[in-house]
Amino acid sequence: MNESIATPYVDPALYDIVYSWYHDDLAFYRDLAKASPGPVLEAACGTGRILIPTAQAGVDIDGFDLEPAMIARLKAKASAAELKLRVVVADMRDFTMPRRYGLITIPFRAFMHLSTTEDQIRALRCIREHLEPRGSLVMNLFYPNHAYIAEHRDQRMLEREIVHPVTGHPIALWSTQRYDLVRQTLVADREVIETPEDGQPVTHHYRFTLRWVYRFEMELLLRAAGFTRWEVRGGFDGRPLLTPEDEMVWTAWKD
Amino acid sequence: MSQCGPAAVTGATLPSPYEAPDLYDLLFESFAFDVPYWLEVANTAGGPVLEVACGTGRILLRLLHAGVDVDGVDAYPAMLDQLREKARSRGLEPCVFQGDMRDFTMPRRYQRVICAFNAFAHCETIDDQLRALRCIREHLEPGGVLVLHMSYPSLALWTDPNGEPVLELQSTHPINGNTLQLWDTRFKNTVGQCQRSQIEVRELDATGRCLDSQRFETLQRWVYRYEFELLLRHAGYARWDIRGGFQNEPLEHDDQQMIVWAWKD
Repeated sequence: MNESIATPYVDPALYDIVYSWYHDDLAFYRDLAKASPGPVLEAACGTGRILIPTAQAGVDIDGFDLEPAMIARLKAKASAAELKLRVVVADMRDFTMPRRYGLITIPFRAFMHLSTTEDQIRALRCIREHLEPRGSLVMNLFYPNHAYIAEHRDQRMLEREIVHPVTGHPIALWSTQRYDLVRQTLVADREVIETPEDGQPVTHHYRFTLRWVYRFEMELLLRAAGFTRWEVRGGFDGRPLLTPEDEMVWTAWKD
Repeated sequence: MSQCGPAAVTGATLPSPYEAPDLYDLLFESFAFDVPYWLEVANTAGGPVLEVACGTGRILLRLLHAGVDVDGVDAYPAMLDQLREKARSRGLEPCVFQGDMRDFTMPRRYQRVICAFNAFAHCETIDDQLRALRCIREHLEPGGVLVLHMSYPSLALWTDPNGEPVLELQSTHPINGNTLQLWDTRFKNTVGQCQRSQIEVRELDATGRCLDSQRFETLQRWVYRYEFELLLRHAGYARWDIRGGFQNEPLEHDDQQMIVWAWKD
């Protein structure tokens, strides 16, 4: 494999096209933010897929992301929408914001970009320090689905066919995922194949690595970071976490 | 609280296999795959050794026979009675006590504490696990090490059939020559990281006719590698090294064994 394949975050325009179809988490995070008693911070906010509509709903929300290109695109979108936002480039493991928050969110499995236990604990501690008393952290992560891994590991699969939101060209999203079960790591190679009118497909490649976390492991991480109370649900609809098909939705309270 | 709740089996609870030490020994006493490893661990301890969850002494009596200064603790009096009886017939004098691995007190401290054969999987909750690891740590001398063997929870563990009897073990009765079969029906809760096993031990005569059947139940809570490291950190261990098997190989694949070495300080 070519190890120089870029992450999806260096090409934010492509990123926005690839995820243009996904909205499943938007209402959940926006409504949570609207109900927050204090200001809201979104970690790993990317190009503002959630942050911008949340701000437009009247929420006092700040954000940060590790990738300057993502933040630049977010700022461009915000100024086009005449929104004044505090969004900065920062690392989840070691960031400093000038105020404290009633709610901090890490949507869209971004916590899984932290690859070691040390990184995870540093991020959780830093987030906890930025919470107001009684404030909470909310994040979602996938639960590792062993049956899915057994069936699909190393296979190139057509994940989705979408339409380019501007040009209307068909786009095929292909994915090959490799798993290291002991290191709890998934390496995803994605191909974005756009077919314009001339029929000559154009392919973009990107790659990302995710480190999954098991349920009890997360409890031990939260405890290590100083959180005293937490809860996990099995989806944005609040169902209990029962099967590996469920999405883990965690809430952890500062105190 | 049991974390193998609603998604697991319902129905009457069967006795633990540790209440039937005769049968346990008929099935497991001949297991020797791990004995050379524990002999090596004990012989290089440089001080007394404690085996937590020593059972009927499959390992402990072999260590004692080899001249190791080893004590034992186990939660089940019947298992310890069996251990003492076996020791008597072999001319050995074991020092073993009944105690729960989460909360035991021994009169001395040890250079090495060992915990073999997936016994740690009987700790069902984070609280159980931390209490056991802390209690073990308190029983270590300065510089002492916990050495613990547990299977890594493999992908196959979670994807193999759920709720179907599997013939796990077949052996020959050493006295009457009958066939002993251990059938294991596993009810797995992937998210709860546990499996409830309904075990049936059948004794068959030469014609295959079933002469006897006894049923038991156990619960095992599996632990992943990074999760184990977090448990050790919370329990106060200073450093650790998790190996992938009895040859000291690195842990790289999910079908390996985990050998956890954890230093008190």
